[in-house]
Amino acid sequence: MIKSDVQLDAKGLACPMPIVKTKKAMNDVAEGQVLEIQATDKGSVADLAAWSKTVGHQYIGTNEDNGVFYHYIRKCNPETSDLTEKTFEQTISNEDAVKGDGIILDVREAAEYAFGHMPGAKSIPMGELTNRMNELDPAQNIYVICRTGTRSDLAAQQLSAAGFTNIYNVLPGMTEYTGELEKEV
Amino acid sequence: MSNKVAIIAANGGLFDAYKVFNIATAAAASEKEVAIFFTFEGLNLIHKQGMQALEMPAGKESFAEGFAAAQVPAIPQLVEMAQELGVKFIACQMTMDVMGLTKEDFVDDIEVGGAVTFLEFAKDAAPTLTF
Repeated sequence: MIKSDVQLDAKGLACPMPIVKTKKAMNDVAEGQVLEIQATDKGSVADLAAWSKTVGHQYIGTNEDNGVFYHYIRKCNPETSDLTEKTFEQTISNEDAVKGDGIILDVREAAEYAFGHMPGAKSIPMGELTNRMNELDPAQNIYVICRTGTRSDLAAQQLSAAGFTNIYNVLPGMTEYTGELEKEV
Repeated sequence: MSNKVAIIAANGGLFDAYKVFNIATAAAASEKEVAIFFTFEGLNLIHKQGMQALEMPAGKESFAEGFAAAQVPAIPQLVEMAQELGVKFIACQMTMDVMGLTKEDFVDDIEVGGAVTFLEFAKDAAPTLTF
């Protein structure tokens, strides 16, 4: 079971209904949140990936269980995402973070983490960070990573403001990562 | 990239209807601006009575079971869905005159226009599709 913010039951529906329902359901999803679409239409696998690309949302992945496809899409705003300026000064490359002696902190949503993360990375989604900082060791180097470096930049600033000093923002982030992936699906 | 999809519906069978409305609703759900120009037999697809009983091509009647098994939505449902998503329906005035039809014979909220009305919409659309 992968965590998502909003769930849509599109089981038993034929093309183009899963897409039409997804479009409508997306209206109730906040930017950055993850929508889970349950569908039995085999065409939905290719279609939802293509739809996400066309509309500008992030297609995270599909998991099949017992004839039902569970699709995960993260709502993006194509006009603002990836353009936000990153201001946290201490940064580290993907490669150096993997080789480094610290812990990799993945602040993407749980579903993004489940479909592939760096080996050994710890998952604390951005929205949960404030309440879960006590899980982190201030003495350890912490390499904060997300998809493109935007969320990890904010997370690094939050941690820094909370008194952590050994914080690095990992750039360019998972989007450019080609190394080994661990998956939970 | 063009944000418009223009469709010409010129045939009036059940299969034609699915091709037209599936592509139209999928495009509209992908945030495209969509217009369909209904001409000749294509007018059947938005005719209040006609759209309830669209015919399968001769010899293909066995597809009915497949449609039911795959839970494919009925055409009137797709028409409603398309309009809800903002797909614009343009009925061809000339064909309506030839067939003796008026705007009242069709589903609500359609436009009636001539070829130029459609061409004006389609001039910067990509793709333009004909069914």
